[in-house]
Amino acid sequence: MRPKRQGKRKVFVRRRKVCRMCADKIDHVDYKDTRFLQQYLVERSKILPRRISGSCAKHQRIIQQAIKRARHIALLPYTSE
Amino acid sequence: MREYELMFVIDPRLTDDEIVGLSDQYKAMIESAGGEVYKQESWGKRKLAYQINKLSEGSYMLFHVRSDGGGAFTEVEQRMRQNERVLRYLTVRTNSGRLRLPEIVDETQESEAAPDAPAVDSAVEVAEVESP
Repeated sequence: MRPKRQGKRKVFVRRRKVCRMCADKIDHVDYKDTRFLQQYLVERSKILPRRISGSCAKHQRIIQQAIKRARHIALLPYTSE
Repeated sequence: MREYELMFVIDPRLTDDEIVGLSDQYKAMIESAGGEVYKQESWGKRKLAYQINKLSEGSYMLFHVRSDGGGAFTEVEQRMRQNERVLRYLTVRTNSGRLRLPEIVDETQESEAAPDAPAVDSAVEVAEVESP
């Protein structure tokens, strides 16, 4: 994702997003670690899409799994207004 | 030997004694089915993220179990399902090889729950709320 459109239009140089978990070398997320998981929730408690968070597929899957577990056991909400 | 975690949420209206009694019962069930509860945590009453059966609090209990397979959980899980006082339960495998843990610890947990739990890998290797 790096638009390199030359020409008259403005050239966006978007910073490349890096998966935070890759950067921190984390391979496991505990569903009990709600503080960590909270970082991957939007305000309405939806799961933050990869497009926004920049997570790689593997880590997104791990996060997703952990969030869903935490939701099931009512540590995290499914929704919130 | 595999390691598991069994977390369950109990109706907070039960007295402490009743909760202890109930979890002892569950513990006995696991042990008679070949599992070993080597660590037990009680988180006490905690606010639920959403209401369950019109309750907004729950008493959280956590068992760390060592067992040869998920078979140790069939009975407990069945009992928990039938018991209306158990609002939720979740069984998760915790050791499956890789060990790169996050350093972040949930500050709302007063105990040393999260940090020393070994890694759960991907969804594939985890028996979750199902008996094999």
